[in-house]
Amino acid sequence: MADYDAVVIGAGLGGISTASLLAKNGMKTLILEQSDIIGGCCSTFESQGYRFDVGASIVEILHPMEKFFQLMGKKREDYIELLPCDPIYSFITEDGRRFSYPTDIDETTRVIESIAPEDVEGWKRFCSLGLEMIDEMMDAMMTSPLNTVGEALAMVVKTPRVMRYLPLLARRHQSVVRSYYRNPVILSSVAFQSYFAGAPPELGSGIFGFIALSEHLGIYYPRGGMISIPEGMLRAGREHGLEVRTGCKVERIILDGRRARGVVLEDGTEITSEVVVSNVNAKVAYLKMVGPENLPPWALKAIDSYRLSMPCPMIYVGLDEKPDLEAHHTVVSGSIEVMNRVWNLYYTKGVIPRTAMSLICWPTEADPSLAPEGHHILNFLCNAPAPYAPLGDNWDRLKDWYKEEAVRELERFVMPGVRDHIDYLEVSTPLDFERRLLSPQGSIYGLFSDLTSLALFRPHARSRVIKGLYLAGSSTHLGGGVPTTIASGIITSGYILKDRG
Amino acid sequence: MERKLRRLLKAGALAGLVALYFSLDESTRRYLAHIGKQVPYLPYRYFI
Repeated sequence: MADYDAVVIGAGLGGISTASLLAKNGMKTLILEQSDIIGGCCSTFESQGYRFDVGASIVEILHPMEKFFQLMGKKREDYIELLPCDPIYSFITEDGRRFSYPTDIDETTRVIESIAPEDVEGWKRFCSLGLEMIDEMMDAMMTSPLNTVGEALAMVVKTPRVMRYLPLLARRHQSVVRSYYRNPVILSSVAFQSYFAGAPPELGSGIFGFIALSEHLGIYYPRGGMISIPEGMLRAGREHGLEVRTGCKVERIILDGRRARGVVLEDGTEITSEVVVSNVNAKVAYLKMVGPENLPPWALKAIDSYRLSMPCPMIYVGLDEKPDLEAHHTVVSGSIEVMNRVWNLYYTKGVIPRTAMSLICWPTEADPSLAPEGHHILNFLCNAPAPYAPLGDNWDRLKDWYKEEAVRELERFVMPGVRDHIDYLEVSTPLDFERRLLSPQGSIYGLFSDLTSLALFRPHARSRVIKGLYLAGSSTHLGGGVPTTIASGIITSGYILKDRG
Repeated sequence: MERKLRRLLKAGALAGLVALYFSLDESTRRYLAHIGKQVPYLPYRYFI
């Protein structure tokens, strides 16, 4: 008899949501996390009295989280306190102009009108289609499986209006936003979100163009830092007997032919289970934990063929004063052409981008308790890909240089004189992300997301190669992000429970 | 004669496609090249 009904590798949001739902349904479930803290990219660490978020900076589209707690038979409010953040973004344009988008759609209309009256009509069309799509498709697209042609057909039969939105999937992000807006400032304010899916506007799917609208349904910051989300979900799972072990690195998956039977830890300990769920990058799961020798040639070709999402350094800043910012998120954005050029000229050629493109998160605006009294935190994400292997150098050597560059950028575009108020400064490079989160090459959104690696063509939640192996998280349908990885856990647990009858 | 005509048509179609490709803007060409490289893997990806 196996030690556990299910072993879950990785305590990211996908792993925790899968495991909790399995535990709730009576399965003896264990999560194994290689790091000392849970949450993966949606986590928080403490240093010198500051609590910094590792990667994820807000949550939007609450539907999957609410559905998770509903399936657990609990209320989200009892486990996670969400603080609304309004305005959504404050923008700093290339020429130094500043403006903010409030959550309220009518107020945003007035902001757009003041910048580009010619784009108001496009914004209204954008809202009309987008809100309808979000309303009609939330359940069909967010928490329903979409791994096979059969499932895709079932979705169409259940929600025929999905056909109306399919062309958006096939179009490019930049084509979709350009069909609504003409003003370059407005265009860049709705195009940079393609990087949230890990692709430049010229390669990303058009469906991601509507992230710029979904944010108007509300963006939230969890009190206590982003780790409060996985902690709250885990607490709900623990109430049903879910076990978690941190600091336990899985070396490989035990196989009996092509059937997963458990895992072997780094120290050689074997833990057997009926079901193995991987919440690590699919490439790591198949190529390292299963092993290429155990995969048929076609499967090896498939998993090898996936491109990784972009690596991206993150800078953690502690300030001894309140920053001169207007919103939880400040975006320093370039034009669509700059966004594409960064990708093509820098990333693909191995040169670190030196450009005015960044996302500055100010979590202490929502929750001052994250920093010592009177101090503030900025999580500064260069919102552009940076090469994993910088031309002729490596990130360990470049760390100090990059910190200096980041401070110079902050001073130049956002807060002149900020250098004198920096109390803490650290950077997490793509190499650090790879080491801490097992993200190959420091990729922050799992696999690359484009038309050829979404839905039916993304690694399936229920492996078709290894029986008893299931996948969750950013490598599976729907890709990287807080709501999407929680949704992946709902989908994966659904498969497991269905397979067990 | 018919064979020759068919070859000519094929060559014409190919030349048309090449001309069409080069008439596209650089961004679209990069997109098509990117997608073109991924498409051969779709049958494998579907089954993984």
